[in-house]
Amino acid sequence: MSKSQIMVIDDEKIVCDMSKLSLEQSGYEVETFLSAEPALERLKEKKFDIIVTDYKMKGLDGMDVLKTVKKLYPDTKVIMITAFANLETAIEALRSDVHDFFPKPVKIKELKASIERALHA
Amino acid sequence: MKVEHRIILSNFFNIIVLIIVIFFAIQNLNLVLTKLKFIQIADDLNASFLEIRLTEKNYFLYRNKMNLYDILNKIREIRYSIDNVRDDIIKAVGEDNFKILNKNLNDYTNVIALISEIEETKINNNQTETSIREAGKKLREFSEQITRLERTNTNELIMKSQKILLYSFWIIFLSSIVISHLISKKILLSLKLIQKLTLSISEGNFKTIENVDCDQECNSVIKAINFMSNELKNREEQLIQSKKLASIGVMTAGVAHELTNPLNNISMLAQTYIELYDNLSKDDRINFMSKVEAETDRMKEIVKNFLDFSKPKKPQLEQIDINTVIQKAIKLMQNMLYISNIETQLKLNENLPLTFIDRNQIQQVLVNLITNAVQAMTKNGKLIIVSDLDENKKYIKITITDTGKGIPPELLQHIFDPFFSTKGEGGTGLGLSVSHGIIKSHNGDITVKSEVGKGTTFTIRLPIYTKIEGSKTDE
Repeated sequence: MSKSQIMVIDDEKIVCDMSKLSLEQSGYEVETFLSAEPALERLKEKKFDIIVTDYKMKGLDGMDVLKTVKKLYPDTKVIMITAFANLETAIEALRSDVHDFFPKPVKIKELKASIERALHA
Repeated sequence: MKVEHRIILSNFFNIIVLIIVIFFAIQNLNLVLTKLKFIQIADDLNASFLEIRLTEKNYFLYRNKMNLYDILNKIREIRYSIDNVRDDIIKAVGEDNFKILNKNLNDYTNVIALISEIEETKINNNQTETSIREAGKKLREFSEQITRLERTNTNELIMKSQKILLYSFWIIFLSSIVISHLISKKILLSLKLIQKLTLSISEGNFKTIENVDCDQECNSVIKAINFMSNELKNREEQLIQSKKLASIGVMTAGVAHELTNPLNNISMLAQTYIELYDNLSKDDRINFMSKVEAETDRMKEIVKNFLDFSKPKKPQLEQIDINTVIQKAIKLMQNMLYISNIETQLKLNENLPLTFIDRNQIQQVLVNLITNAVQAMTKNGKLIIVSDLDENKKYIKITITDTGKGIPPELLQHIFDPFFSTKGEGGTGLGLSVSHGIIKSHNGDITVKSEVGKGTTFTIRLPIYTKIEGSKTDE
Protein backbone atom coordinates (compact mmCIF):
# COMPACT_ATOMS: atom_id res chain seq x y z
CA MET A 1 0.00 0.00 0.00
CA SER A 2 1.42 3.37 -1.01
CA LYS A 3 1.97 6.03 1.61
CA SER A 4 -0.53 8.91 1.99
CA GLN A 5 0.76 12.17 0.52
CA ILE A 6 0.68 15.17 2.84
CA MET A 7 1.61 18.77 2.04
CA VAL A 8 2.40 21.20 4.88
CA ILE A 9 2.43 24.98 4.22
CA ASP A 10 3.51 27.34 7.02
CA ASP A 11 5.78 30.39 7.08
CA GLU A 12 7.30 29.13 10.35
CA LYS A 13 10.17 26.77 9.46
CA ILE A 14 9.93 24.85 12.76
CA VAL A 15 6.26 24.03 12.08
CA CYS A 16 7.24 22.61 8.69
CA ASP A 17 10.23 20.67 10.05
CA MET A 18 8.48 19.21 13.12
CA SER A 19 5.35 18.28 11.13
CA LYS A 20 7.54 16.52 8.56
CA LEU A 21 9.51 14.58 11.20
CA SER A 22 6.45 13.53 13.19
CA LEU A 23 4.21 12.71 10.24
CA GLU A 24 6.94 10.76 8.46
CA GLN A 25 7.44 8.84 11.70
CA SER A 26 3.76 7.91 11.46
CA GLY A 27 4.27 6.61 7.95
CA TYR A 28 3.15 9.51 5.77
CA GLU A 29 5.04 11.04 2.87
CA VAL A 30 5.42 14.77 3.61
CA GLU A 31 6.41 17.80 1.51
CA THR A 32 6.72 21.20 3.20
CA PHE A 33 6.54 24.78 1.85
CA LEU A 34 7.24 28.11 3.61
CA SER A 35 4.71 30.02 1.47
CA ALA A 36 1.61 29.36 -0.62
CA GLU A 37 2.94 30.27 -4.07
CA PRO A 38 5.52 27.42 -4.55
CA ALA A 39 3.09 25.00 -2.88
CA LEU A 40 0.37 25.80 -5.45
CA GLU A 41 2.93 25.37 -8.25
CA ARG A 42 3.79 21.90 -6.84
CA LEU A 43 0.07 21.04 -6.69
CA LYS A 44 -0.16 21.48 -10.44
CA GLU A 45 2.36 18.62 -10.78
CA LYS A 46 1.31 16.31 -7.96
CA LYS A 47 -1.90 15.40 -6.15
CA PHE A 48 -1.77 15.29 -2.34
CA ASP A 49 -4.27 13.52 -0.06
CA ILE A 50 -4.12 16.04 2.74
CA ILE A 51 -2.99 19.65 2.83
CA VAL A 52 -2.15 21.23 6.18
CA THR A 53 -1.85 25.00 5.74
CA ASP A 54 -1.39 28.05 7.90
CA TYR A 55 -4.28 30.49 7.69
CA LYS A 56 -2.26 33.75 7.78
CA MET A 57 0.75 34.02 5.53
CA LYS A 58 2.54 36.70 3.60
CA GLY A 59 1.27 36.84 0.04
CA LEU A 60 -1.40 34.24 -0.66
CA ASP A 61 -3.02 32.92 2.54
CA GLY A 62 -4.70 29.68 3.67
CA MET A 63 -8.05 30.61 2.10
CA ASP A 64 -6.35 31.15 -1.30
CA VAL A 65 -4.75 27.69 -0.98
CA LEU A 66 -8.15 26.18 -0.13
CA LYS A 67 -9.82 27.73 -3.19
CA THR A 68 -7.10 26.48 -5.59
CA VAL A 69 -7.00 22.99 -4.07
CA LYS A 70 -10.76 22.59 -4.28
CA LYS A 71 -10.66 23.70 -7.92
CA LEU A 72 -7.85 21.27 -8.82
CA TYR A 73 -8.68 18.29 -6.57
CA PRO A 74 -12.16 18.47 -5.02
CA ASP A 75 -11.55 15.35 -2.91
CA THR A 76 -8.27 16.56 -1.31
CA LYS A 77 -8.87 17.52 2.33
CA VAL A 78 -7.53 20.80 3.71
CA ILE A 79 -6.69 21.25 7.39
CA MET A 80 -6.16 24.85 8.52
CA ILE A 81 -3.96 25.97 11.42
CA THR A 82 -3.72 29.52 12.64
CA ALA A 83 -2.03 31.65 15.25
CA PHE A 84 -4.74 34.26 14.97
CA ALA A 85 -7.68 32.27 16.23
CA ASN A 86 -10.97 33.96 16.80
CA LEU A 87 -14.57 32.98 16.26
CA GLU A 88 -14.80 34.90 13.01
CA THR A 89 -11.87 33.06 11.37
CA ALA A 90 -13.06 29.69 12.62
CA ILE A 91 -16.56 30.24 11.17
CA GLU A 92 -15.14 31.55 7.88
CA ALA A 93 -12.80 28.55 7.60
CA LEU A 94 -15.36 25.90 8.47
CA ARG A 95 -17.98 27.41 6.13
CA SER A 96 -15.61 27.23 3.22
CA ASP A 97 -15.12 23.50 3.06
CA VAL A 98 -12.16 23.20 5.41
CA HIS A 99 -11.93 19.70 6.84
CA ASP A 100 -10.59 20.79 10.21
CA PHE A 101 -9.37 23.91 11.97
CA PHE A 102 -6.59 24.08 14.61
CA PRO A 103 -5.56 27.09 16.64
CA LYS A 104 -1.87 27.34 17.55
CA PRO A 105 -0.24 25.88 19.64
CA VAL A 106 -1.11 22.72 17.77
CA LYS A 107 -1.22 19.32 19.48
CA ILE A 108 0.49 16.98 16.99
CA LYS A 109 -1.50 13.97 18.22
CA GLU A 110 -4.76 15.79 17.52
CA LEU A 111 -3.46 16.85 14.12
CA LYS A 112 -2.54 13.24 13.31
CA ALA A 113 -5.97 12.06 14.47
CA SER A 114 -7.61 14.65 12.24
CA ILE A 115 -5.45 13.52 9.29
CA GLU A 116 -6.44 9.91 9.93
CA ARG A 117 -10.11 10.88 10.03
CA ALA A 118 -9.74 12.84 6.80
CA LEU A 119 -8.03 9.92 5.03
CA HIS A 120 -10.78 7.54 5.98
CA ALA A 121 -13.67 9.87 5.44
CA MET B 1 13.80 97.51 43.00
CA LYS B 2 10.06 97.46 42.35
CA VAL B 3 8.79 99.34 39.29
CA GLU B 4 6.39 101.18 41.59
CA HIS B 5 9.32 102.46 43.67
CA ARG B 6 11.19 103.53 40.58
CA ILE B 7 8.20 105.55 39.34
CA ILE B 8 7.76 107.17 42.77
CA LEU B 9 11.49 108.01 42.85
CA SER B 10 11.44 109.53 39.38
CA ASN B 11 8.35 111.61 40.21
CA PHE B 12 10.05 112.72 43.43
CA PHE B 13 13.10 113.82 41.43
CA ASN B 14 10.94 115.82 39.02
CA ILE B 15 9.05 117.46 41.89
CA ILE B 16 12.36 118.49 43.53
CA VAL B 17 13.54 120.03 40.24
CA LEU B 18 10.18 121.81 39.91
CA ILE B 19 10.39 123.19 43.48
CA ILE B 20 13.92 124.54 42.83
CA VAL B 21 12.75 126.17 39.59
CA ILE B 22 9.71 127.74 41.27
CA PHE B 23 11.93 129.02 44.10
CA PHE B 24 14.30 130.70 41.65
CA ALA B 25 11.42 132.05 39.59
CA ILE B 26 9.82 133.65 42.70
CA GLN B 27 13.18 135.07 43.73
CA ASN B 28 13.65 136.58 40.29
CA LEU B 29 10.11 137.90 40.25
CA ASN B 30 10.65 139.64 43.62
CA LEU B 31 13.85 141.17 42.30
CA VAL B 32 12.08 142.37 39.18
CA LEU B 33 9.29 143.86 41.30
CA THR B 34 11.88 145.69 43.49
CA LYS B 35 13.63 146.98 40.39
CA LEU B 36 10.34 148.13 38.85
CA LYS B 37 9.44 149.86 42.14
CA PHE B 38 12.81 151.61 42.09
CA ILE B 39 12.39 152.62 38.47
CA GLN B 40 9.09 154.21 39.50
CA ILE B 41 10.87 156.04 42.36
CA ALA B 42 13.75 156.97 40.05
CA ASP B 43 11.29 158.36 37.49
CA ASP B 44 9.69 160.49 40.25
CA LEU B 45 13.15 161.66 41.37
CA ASN B 46 14.08 162.50 37.79
CA ALA B 47 10.87 164.50 37.42
CA SER B 48 11.67 166.35 40.70
CA PHE B 49 15.26 166.99 39.58
CA LEU B 50 13.94 168.32 36.26
CA GLU B 51 11.64 170.64 38.18
CA ILE B 52 14.57 171.83 40.37
CA ARG B 53 16.64 172.48 37.25
CA LEU B 54 13.76 174.52 35.76
CA THR B 55 13.47 176.59 38.98
CA GLU B 56 17.27 176.94 38.87
CA LYS B 57 17.01 178.38 35.33
CA ASN B 58 14.29 180.79 36.44
CA TYR B 59 16.59 182.00 39.19
CA PHE B 60 19.33 182.72 36.69
CA LEU B 61 16.87 184.58 34.45
CA TYR B 62 15.12 186.71 37.09
CA ARG B 63 17.55 186.52 40.07
CA ASN B 64 14.62 185.98 42.37
CA LYS B 65 15.78 184.48 45.63
CA MET B 66 12.36 182.89 46.07
CA ASN B 67 13.41 180.41 43.43
CA LEU B 68 16.27 179.27 45.62
CA TYR B 69 13.85 178.69 48.50
CA ASP B 70 11.65 176.71 46.18
CA ILE B 71 14.65 174.60 45.25
CA LEU B 72 15.56 174.00 48.89
CA ASN B 73 11.96 173.04 49.67
CA LYS B 74 11.96 170.69 46.73
CA ILE B 75 15.22 169.12 47.91
CA ARG B 76 13.72 168.66 51.34
CA GLU B 77 10.72 166.91 49.80
CA ILE B 78 13.05 164.72 47.78
CA ARG B 79 15.05 163.82 50.86
CA TYR B 80 11.88 163.01 52.66
CA SER B 81 10.70 160.66 49.91
CA ILE B 82 14.19 159.10 49.54
CA ASP B 83 14.28 158.39 53.25
CA ASN B 84 10.88 156.73 52.99
CA VAL B 85 12.03 154.28 50.31
CA ARG B 86 15.64 154.07 51.49
CA ASP B 87 15.63 150.32 51.80
CA ASP B 88 14.09 149.79 48.38
CA ILE B 89 16.65 152.08 46.79
CA ILE B 90 19.59 150.35 48.54
CA LYS B 91 18.20 146.98 47.50
CA ALA B 92 17.97 148.13 43.90
CA VAL B 93 21.17 150.16 43.41
CA GLY B 94 23.32 149.14 46.36
CA GLU B 95 24.69 151.02 49.38
CA ASP B 96 27.54 152.77 47.47
CA ASN B 97 25.32 154.26 44.80
CA PHE B 98 22.87 155.40 47.48
CA LYS B 99 25.71 157.15 49.26
CA ILE B 100 26.81 158.82 46.02
CA LEU B 101 23.20 160.02 45.44
CA ASN B 102 23.08 161.46 48.97
CA LYS B 103 26.45 163.11 48.52
CA ASN B 104 25.38 164.69 45.22
CA LEU B 105 22.17 165.92 46.86
CA ASN B 106 24.17 167.32 49.78
CA ASP B 107 26.60 169.07 47.43
CA TYR B 108 23.71 170.65 45.53
CA THR B 109 21.93 171.70 48.76
CA ASN B 110 25.15 173.21 50.08
CA VAL B 111 25.69 175.24 46.92
CA ILE B 112 22.06 176.51 46.91
CA ALA B 113 22.19 177.26 50.66
CA LEU B 114 25.45 179.15 50.27
CA ILE B 115 24.11 181.32 47.47
CA SER B 116 20.84 182.06 49.21
CA GLU B 117 22.74 183.39 52.23
CA ILE B 118 25.03 185.76 50.24
CA GLU B 119 23.80 189.25 49.31
CA GLU B 120 22.78 189.80 45.71
CA THR B 121 25.46 192.32 44.97
CA LYS B 122 28.25 190.17 46.26
CA ILE B 123 27.35 187.27 44.09
CA ASN B 124 29.74 186.57 41.33
CA ASN B 125 27.21 185.69 38.71
CA ASN B 126 29.37 183.60 36.52
CA GLN B 127 31.00 181.60 39.30
CA THR B 128 27.67 181.01 41.09
CA GLU B 129 25.94 179.96 37.93
CA THR B 130 28.67 177.49 37.09
CA SER B 131 28.77 175.85 40.53
CA ILE B 132 24.95 175.52 40.69
CA ARG B 133 24.70 174.22 37.17
CA GLU B 134 27.49 171.70 37.73
CA ALA B 135 26.03 170.35 40.99
CA GLY B 136 22.50 170.15 39.45
CA LYS B 137 23.84 168.52 36.32
CA LYS B 138 25.80 166.00 38.36
CA LEU B 139 22.74 165.20 40.41
CA ARG B 140 20.51 164.73 37.39
CA GLU B 141 23.07 162.82 35.36
CA PHE B 142 23.70 160.41 38.22
CA SER B 143 19.98 159.90 38.71
CA GLU B 144 19.43 159.31 34.98
CA GLN B 145 22.41 156.99 34.74
CA ILE B 146 21.15 154.90 37.65
CA THR B 147 17.64 154.75 36.16
CA ARG B 148 19.06 153.66 32.79
CA LEU B 149 21.22 151.04 34.46
CA GLU B 150 18.32 149.69 36.45
CA ARG B 151 16.14 149.45 33.32
CA THR B 152 18.87 147.44 31.62
CA ASN B 153 19.29 145.23 34.70
CA THR B 154 15.56 144.62 34.92
CA ASN B 155 15.42 143.65 31.24
CA GLU B 156 18.32 141.28 31.75
CA LEU B 157 16.64 139.81 34.80
CA ILE B 158 13.43 139.19 32.88
CA MET B 159 15.43 137.61 30.05
CA LYS B 160 17.30 135.46 32.59
CA SER B 161 14.04 134.29 34.17
CA GLN B 162 12.71 133.45 30.75
CA LYS B 163 15.84 131.38 30.03
CA ILE B 164 15.70 129.63 33.43
CA LEU B 165 12.08 128.64 32.82
CA LEU B 166 12.91 127.40 29.34
CA TYR B 167 15.94 125.40 30.54
CA SER B 168 13.99 123.97 33.45
CA PHE B 169 11.27 122.86 31.05
CA TRP B 170 13.86 121.02 28.94
CA ILE B 171 15.59 119.50 32.01
CA ILE B 172 12.30 118.13 33.35
CA PHE B 173 11.22 117.01 29.87
CA LEU B 174 14.52 115.25 29.10
CA SER B 175 14.90 113.75 32.58
CA SER B 176 11.34 112.36 32.28
CA ILE B 177 12.24 110.77 28.95
CA VAL B 178 15.53 109.33 30.27
CA ILE B 179 13.96 108.02 33.48
CA SER B 180 10.94 106.51 31.66
CA HIS B 181 13.33 104.93 29.17
CA LEU B 182 15.46 103.47 31.98
CA ILE B 183 12.40 102.13 33.79
CA SER B 184 10.66 100.83 30.69
CA LYS B 185 13.82 99.35 29.11
CA LYS B 186 14.03 96.46 31.56
CA ILE B 187 10.27 95.98 31.59
CA LEU B 188 10.14 95.89 27.79
CA LEU B 189 13.09 93.50 27.69
CA SER B 190 11.38 91.20 30.15
CA LEU B 191 8.07 91.53 28.28
CA LYS B 192 9.86 90.52 25.08
CA LEU B 193 11.27 87.45 26.87
CA ILE B 194 7.81 86.63 28.21
CA GLN B 195 6.30 87.10 24.74
CA LYS B 196 8.91 84.75 23.25
CA LEU B 197 8.30 82.19 25.99
CA THR B 198 4.51 82.25 25.65
CA LEU B 199 4.83 81.95 21.87
CA SER B 200 7.08 78.93 22.25
CA ILE B 201 4.67 77.42 24.82
CA SER B 202 1.77 77.93 22.41
CA GLU B 203 3.77 75.98 19.83
CA GLY B 204 4.23 73.13 22.27
CA ASN B 205 7.79 73.90 23.45
CA PHE B 206 7.43 73.92 27.21
CA LYS B 207 10.62 75.84 28.01
CA THR B 208 11.30 78.02 31.03
CA ILE B 209 13.25 81.26 31.53
CA GLU B 210 15.96 81.16 34.18
CA ASN B 211 18.09 83.87 35.83
CA VAL B 212 16.54 86.90 34.22
CA ASP B 213 17.75 90.23 35.59
CA CYS B 214 14.48 92.11 35.83
CA ASP B 215 12.13 93.81 38.26
CA GLN B 216 10.29 92.09 41.07
CA GLU B 217 6.89 92.30 39.31
CA CYS B 218 8.33 90.94 36.08
CA ASN B 219 10.11 88.18 38.01
CA SER B 220 6.84 87.03 39.54
CA VAL B 221 5.21 86.95 36.07
CA ILE B 222 8.13 84.89 34.70
CA LYS B 223 7.92 82.62 37.74
CA ALA B 224 4.20 82.07 37.11
CA ILE B 225 4.76 81.37 33.40
CA ASN B 226 7.62 78.97 34.21
CA PHE B 227 5.33 77.17 36.62
CA MET B 228 2.60 77.00 33.96
CA SER B 229 5.11 75.73 31.38
CA ASN B 230 6.32 72.98 33.73
CA GLU B 231 2.74 72.02 34.52
CA LEU B 232 1.86 71.86 30.81
CA LYS B 233 4.96 69.76 30.20
CA ASN B 234 3.90 67.32 32.93
CA ARG B 235 0.36 67.19 31.60
CA GLU B 236 1.62 66.57 28.09
CA GLU B 237 3.81 63.74 29.33
CA GLN B 238 0.76 62.26 31.06
CA LEU B 239 -1.25 62.70 27.88
CA ILE B 240 1.46 61.01 25.81
CA GLN B 241 1.51 58.15 28.29
CA SER B 242 -2.28 57.78 28.28
CA LYS B 243 -2.28 57.79 24.48
CA LYS B 244 0.46 55.19 24.60
CA LEU B 245 -1.74 52.99 26.79
CA ALA B 246 -4.51 53.40 24.20
CA SER B 247 -2.07 52.33 21.45
CA ILE B 248 -1.11 49.32 23.55
CA GLY B 249 -4.72 48.17 23.46
CA VAL B 250 -4.65 48.24 19.68
CA MET B 251 -1.25 46.54 19.57
CA THR B 252 -2.19 43.71 21.92
CA ALA B 253 -3.89 41.69 19.19
CA GLY B 254 -0.75 41.85 17.10
CA VAL B 255 1.49 40.98 20.04
CA ALA B 256 -0.69 38.00 20.96
CA HIS B 257 -0.40 36.67 17.43
CA GLU B 258 3.30 37.32 17.40
CA LEU B 259 3.75 35.37 20.65
CA THR B 260 1.57 32.47 19.50
CA ASN B 261 3.98 31.51 16.71
CA PRO B 262 7.11 30.95 18.86
CA LEU B 263 4.89 29.36 21.51
CA ASN B 264 3.56 26.92 18.90
CA ASN B 265 7.10 26.27 17.70
CA ILE B 266 8.28 25.39 21.22
CA SER B 267 5.23 23.20 21.70
CA MET B 268 5.82 21.34 18.43
CA LEU B 269 9.54 20.95 19.17
CA ALA B 270 8.70 19.45 22.57
CA GLN B 271 6.04 17.10 21.21
CA THR B 272 8.28 15.86 18.40
CA TYR B 273 11.24 15.56 20.79
CA ILE B 274 9.21 13.28 23.08
CA GLU B 275 7.85 11.31 20.15
CA LEU B 276 11.23 10.75 18.49
CA TYR B 277 13.32 10.69 21.68
CA ASP B 278 14.67 7.14 21.23
CA ASN B 279 15.60 7.74 17.60
CA LEU B 280 17.41 11.04 18.23
CA SER B 281 21.16 11.22 18.36
CA LYS B 282 22.91 13.44 20.93
CA ASP B 283 23.45 16.12 18.26
CA ASP B 284 19.76 15.95 17.27
CA ARG B 285 18.72 16.46 20.89
CA ILE B 286 21.08 19.43 21.27
CA ASN B 287 19.73 20.84 18.01
CA PHE B 288 16.13 20.53 19.29
CA MET B 289 16.93 22.26 22.56
CA SER B 290 18.88 25.02 20.80
CA LYS B 291 15.80 25.71 18.72
CA VAL B 292 13.68 25.88 21.87
CA GLU B 293 16.20 28.33 23.31
CA ALA B 294 16.11 30.45 20.15
CA GLU B 295 12.31 30.54 20.22
CA THR B 296 12.25 31.65 23.85
CA ASP B 297 14.70 34.42 22.90
CA ARG B 298 12.30 35.42 20.15
CA MET B 299 9.47 35.62 22.68
CA LYS B 300 11.65 37.57 25.08
CA GLU B 301 12.40 40.09 22.32
CA ILE B 302 8.70 40.53 21.50
CA VAL B 303 7.83 41.07 25.17
CA LYS B 304 10.79 43.43 25.62
CA ASN B 305 9.77 45.57 22.63
CA PHE B 306 6.23 45.74 23.91
CA LEU B 307 7.31 46.64 27.45
CA ASP B 308 9.82 49.18 26.13
CA PHE B 309 7.04 50.89 24.29
CA SER B 310 4.56 50.82 27.17
CA LYS B 311 6.94 51.97 29.93
CA PRO B 312 6.70 55.66 30.80
CA LYS B 313 9.95 57.35 29.85
CA LYS B 314 11.46 60.69 30.62
CA PRO B 315 11.91 62.89 27.56
CA GLN B 316 15.50 62.46 26.39
CA LEU B 317 17.19 63.81 23.30
CA GLU B 318 19.75 61.64 21.53
CA GLN B 319 21.51 61.91 18.21
CA ILE B 320 20.15 59.09 16.08
CA ASP B 321 19.30 57.93 12.60
CA ILE B 322 15.57 58.48 12.13
CA ASN B 323 15.33 55.36 9.96
CA THR B 324 16.05 53.14 12.98
CA VAL B 325 13.04 54.69 14.74
CA ILE B 326 10.84 54.07 11.69
CA GLN B 327 12.01 50.45 11.52
CA LYS B 328 11.36 49.94 15.24
CA ALA B 329 7.85 51.38 14.91
CA ILE B 330 7.17 49.11 11.94
CA LYS B 331 8.44 46.13 13.92
CA LEU B 332 6.06 46.96 16.75
CA MET B 333 3.17 47.23 14.32
CA GLN B 334 4.26 44.39 12.05
CA ASN B 335 1.74 41.89 13.24
CA MET B 336 -1.11 44.34 13.23
CA LEU B 337 -0.25 45.12 9.61
CA TYR B 338 0.10 41.44 8.91
CA ILE B 339 -3.24 40.54 10.46
CA SER B 340 -4.94 43.35 8.56
CA ASN B 341 -3.34 42.10 5.32
CA ILE B 342 -1.71 45.41 4.68
CA GLU B 343 1.23 45.62 2.35
CA THR B 344 3.96 47.86 3.73
CA GLN B 345 6.44 49.68 1.53
CA LEU B 346 9.43 51.38 3.13
CA LYS B 347 11.40 53.86 1.04
CA LEU B 348 14.07 55.06 3.44
CA ASN B 349 16.88 57.37 2.35
CA GLU B 350 19.94 55.69 3.85
CA ASN B 351 22.08 58.83 3.68
CA LEU B 352 20.04 60.92 6.09
CA PRO B 353 22.10 62.92 8.62
CA LEU B 354 21.81 62.07 12.32
CA THR B 355 19.71 64.46 14.35
CA PHE B 356 18.80 65.05 17.99
CA ILE B 357 15.33 63.70 18.72
CA ASP B 358 13.48 61.95 21.51
CA ARG B 359 13.46 58.40 20.14
CA ASN B 360 10.50 57.21 22.21
CA GLN B 361 8.33 60.21 21.46
CA ILE B 362 8.94 60.07 17.70
CA GLN B 363 8.32 56.31 17.78
CA GLN B 364 5.03 57.03 19.56
CA VAL B 365 4.06 59.49 16.79
CA LEU B 366 4.85 56.89 14.11
CA VAL B 367 2.88 54.18 15.97
CA ASN B 368 -0.09 56.58 16.26
CA LEU B 369 0.02 57.42 12.55
CA ILE B 370 0.47 53.77 11.48
CA THR B 371 -2.41 52.70 13.77
CA ASN B 372 -4.62 55.39 12.20
CA ALA B 373 -3.58 54.26 8.74
CA VAL B 374 -4.35 50.59 9.50
CA GLN B 375 -7.72 51.49 10.98
CA ALA B 376 -8.57 53.63 7.94
CA MET B 377 -7.84 50.77 5.51
CA THR B 378 -9.82 47.66 4.70
CA LYS B 379 -7.98 44.43 3.86
CA ASN B 380 -5.31 44.54 1.17
CA GLY B 381 -4.52 48.18 1.76
CA LYS B 382 -1.11 49.65 1.18
CA LEU B 383 1.01 51.62 3.63
CA ILE B 384 3.93 53.60 2.22
CA ILE B 385 6.50 55.18 4.53
CA VAL B 386 9.14 57.42 3.00
CA SER B 387 12.03 59.16 4.73
CA ASP B 388 14.02 61.81 2.91
CA LEU B 389 15.62 65.24 3.16
CA ASP B 390 13.38 68.24 2.69
CA GLU B 391 13.90 70.35 -0.47
CA ASN B 392 15.91 72.97 1.47
CA LYS B 393 17.94 70.23 3.25
CA LYS B 394 17.22 71.77 6.67
CA TYR B 395 14.63 69.19 7.66
CA ILE B 396 14.14 65.42 7.56
CA LYS B 397 10.80 64.61 5.98
CA ILE B 398 8.79 61.47 6.77
CA THR B 399 5.59 60.76 4.85
CA ILE B 400 3.10 58.07 5.85
CA THR B 401 0.60 57.31 3.11
CA ASP B 402 -2.33 54.93 3.29
CA THR B 403 -4.86 53.82 0.72
CA GLY B 404 -7.70 54.10 3.23
CA LYS B 405 -11.07 55.78 3.10
CA GLY B 406 -9.65 59.32 3.45
CA ILE B 407 -10.84 62.22 5.58
CA PRO B 408 -13.54 64.66 4.36
CA PRO B 409 -12.17 68.21 3.87
CA GLU B 410 -14.52 69.69 6.50
CA LEU B 411 -13.00 67.41 9.18
CA LEU B 412 -9.41 67.77 8.00
CA GLN B 413 -8.88 71.14 9.70
CA HIS B 414 -9.89 69.70 13.10
CA ILE B 415 -7.94 66.46 13.14
CA PHE B 416 -5.11 67.81 15.30
CA ASP B 417 -7.57 69.21 17.87
CA PRO B 418 -7.62 67.34 21.19
CA PHE B 419 -10.57 64.94 21.64
CA PHE B 420 -11.51 65.17 17.96
CA SER B 421 -11.94 61.70 16.49
CA THR B 422 -13.23 60.38 13.18
CA LYS B 423 -13.47 56.87 14.64
CA GLY B 424 -16.58 57.50 16.73
CA GLU B 425 -16.40 55.78 20.10
CA GLY B 426 -13.40 53.75 18.99
CA GLY B 427 -10.97 56.64 19.23
CA THR B 428 -9.80 58.81 22.11
CA GLY B 429 -9.25 61.80 19.86
CA LEU B 430 -5.85 62.26 21.45
CA GLY B 431 -3.51 60.42 19.06
CA LEU B 432 -3.05 63.17 16.49
CA SER B 433 -3.20 65.93 19.07
CA VAL B 434 -0.43 64.27 21.08
CA SER B 435 1.56 63.60 17.89
CA HIS B 436 1.17 67.24 16.90
CA GLY B 437 2.42 68.31 20.36
CA ILE B 438 5.46 66.01 20.16
CA ILE B 439 6.46 67.20 16.69
CA LYS B 440 5.99 70.85 17.69
CA SER B 441 8.19 70.33 20.75
CA HIS B 442 10.89 69.12 18.32
CA ASN B 443 10.44 72.44 16.44
CA GLY B 444 9.08 70.48 13.51
CA ASP B 445 5.69 70.39 11.85
CA ILE B 446 3.10 67.83 10.86
CA THR B 447 0.68 68.29 7.98
CA VAL B 448 -2.01 66.18 6.36
CA LYS B 449 -3.41 65.75 2.86
CA SER B 450 -6.38 63.53 2.22
CA GLU B 451 -8.80 62.55 -0.53
CA VAL B 452 -11.98 60.73 0.32
CA GLY B 453 -11.90 57.21 -1.15
CA LYS B 454 -8.23 57.40 -2.11
CA GLY B 455 -6.26 57.78 1.09
CA THR B 456 -4.38 60.06 3.43
CA THR B 457 -0.80 61.27 3.64
CA PHE B 458 0.74 62.64 6.83
CA THR B 459 3.99 64.57 6.43
CA ILE B 460 6.32 65.11 9.38
CA ARG B 461 9.23 67.55 9.10
CA LEU B 462 11.91 67.46 11.79
CA PRO B 463 14.74 70.02 11.88
CA ILE B 464 18.27 68.64 11.60
CA TYR B 465 20.09 69.41 14.85
CA THR B 466 23.75 68.66 15.44
CA LYS B 467 23.69 69.88 19.04
CA ILE B 468 21.22 69.48 21.90
CA GLU B 469 19.07 72.62 22.15
CA GLY B 470 21.34 73.81 19.40
CA SER B 471 20.78 75.59 16.18
CA LYS B 472 20.25 73.98 12.85
CA THR B 473 23.37 72.78 11.02
CA ASP B 474 23.49 75.60 8.55
CA GLU B 475 22.58 78.43 10.87
